[in-house]
Amino acid sequence: MKNICCRLVCSASLLAFPVAASAADISVDSSTIFRIENRDVTGAKKQTLLPATQFLGLDVDKLADGNLSLHFYGWGRADLGDKSYNNDKVDGSFTYGYLQYRFKEANAAIRAGRFFVREGIINEQVDGVNARTELPMGFGLSAFGGATVHTKHLYAENSDGKGDYIYGGRANYRYKGMLELGASGLYEGKAPTLANYTNGNHRLLGGDIWFSPHKTIEAMGHTSYNPETKRVAEHTYLLNIKPVQHLVLSGEFNEHRERSYFYAWTMFSGAALDPAEKSRSVGGSASYEITRNFEVVADYKHYTREIGNADRYGADARIKFLDNSVRGGLSYHYLRAGKGFAIGTNPTASYHEVRGYAMHDSKNYFAAVDALGYFFRDKIYNEKSAWEAMLSLGYHITPALALSGDISYGRNPEFIEDTKGLLRLTYNMTFDGKGGKK
Amino acid sequence: MKLLKTSLPVLALAGLFMILAACAQMKSISSLPDSHPEALTTGQQVNCSECHEDQQKGTMKAFAAFSHSATFVKNHRFYSASDDRLCSTCHKSSFCNDCHTNKVQMKPSTKYGYRPDREMPHRGNFITLHKIEGKLDPASCYRCHGRANNERCVACHN
Repeated sequence: MKNICCRLVCSASLLAFPVAASAADISVDSSTIFRIENRDVTGAKKQTLLPATQFLGLDVDKLADGNLSLHFYGWGRADLGDKSYNNDKVDGSFTYGYLQYRFKEANAAIRAGRFFVREGIINEQVDGVNARTELPMGFGLSAFGGATVHTKHLYAENSDGKGDYIYGGRANYRYKGMLELGASGLYEGKAPTLANYTNGNHRLLGGDIWFSPHKTIEAMGHTSYNPETKRVAEHTYLLNIKPVQHLVLSGEFNEHRERSYFYAWTMFSGAALDPAEKSRSVGGSASYEITRNFEVVADYKHYTREIGNADRYGADARIKFLDNSVRGGLSYHYLRAGKGFAIGTNPTASYHEVRGYAMHDSKNYFAAVDALGYFFRDKIYNEKSAWEAMLSLGYHITPALALSGDISYGRNPEFIEDTKGLLRLTYNMTFDGKGGKK
Repeated sequence: MKLLKTSLPVLALAGLFMILAACAQMKSISSLPDSHPEALTTGQQVNCSECHEDQQKGTMKAFAAFSHSATFVKNHRFYSASDDRLCSTCHKSSFCNDCHTNKVQMKPSTKYGYRPDREMPHRGNFITLHKIEGKLDPASCYRCHGRANNERCVACHN
């Protein structure tokens, strides 16, 4: 009942959309995509997939007194050939739809409807209400509450494993432009009992920090605690050092206590995991903008798990010309990983990853080529590599309307041959927009 | 108990007074604009410090911290967790929700095949790769597929 009331209130808030909004800024984003795929899976009959998908976004700003806005985004799909995704030939999603009132002071805002909350350790989609504001002396508050947005039922279950309501919030303190401390938490209603999975309640508490004692140093991250397991779930921290202009040296540390972090991961029965098991990754990178148009990045990461250790290292280079209208990139990475991470009985999971792309966007035409290959040290299902090459060509019919098509071909261990085509009509229009287009 | 009964109205009054005082002072805290005053080029690796260096006011972080270097793009989750108001001056929510959502229709790299310069997850044949990457760093799977976008996962993992 609580759940239904919550959704009704949210729906009613959208009905309050003022019709007399002559001075409103209206922005429409539409993408119509027809895909054509021939799928040849080992041991299965060949399939021809013809899904047609419509993405639609609508943003109406400056309603009523100018501070009210309406935001909507969603998609729908119909399969014109074989089923492209599990058992549904028609599907859709209401991604978000909310009314927002932004106050002129204190970055205060109220949202009502379906929206995403990203605050501290919170990362949720909710049907409900969200309010936040800054307060004097550097303090700030944010709170949300409502019904959980459910997804498809898990296989052979009557639920997706989530509770029916959720609430939470974050309090923070900022000192000048150098320190921010935050405390956040969320509480989801009791997770339903499932027949085939060991699921747990989704409840977390946490703290986050951003600290920059000097403009060349910046440290940030968060730690979350699971009150259900009474253990820390996650530590994740990043340190950025900028010793000279355009050079960023970065170090990261991540640690996850798997039972606590995955406690509400019903599909892999997080609540049934070994409480002692944890994974850790430590890494670093250096990115340098050699010129305004040329940037290089080198990175390294070491992974530690109960099943073994692994290392990944490599480099990226990005270049752009002609006032940003031509862009390109090259990258190479190598993963060194032992038997514990391998597929099947392979002695290692190591592989090389190589990618190159180039694109051009002019007033009339746009084009892109992209090639990506994974080269395995030990064959996977008798294949030495998995690769894919893609070509995209498009034409701007008007500044807001564009027609484009992509074609790609690849070979890999899962699909012997993977040929895909796509036709795309995009419409991105802002009416009476002032300032930068989003 | 008597002391509590006596002090409660006093505490409530003090709390109300503090809230009113805070509200009065909030007028002096200005909000960020709802959109960036000037249009930025699509695909530009935005360098905020070109215009905004050391211009932060009050408790705002230096804009230079938000320049879209490769390091920033890779680690943007840290910034969005506390400063999504700043993100929203240039990006619509849908920009984030192409990847971060409850139900993805197609890989973002397929939807935006004409934008290979954008950082997007699972390019190429990730179906093979996920059998390695999932064991290597399962936390990276959980962020997006732990409680959503798992409809296809259950086809095999059940």
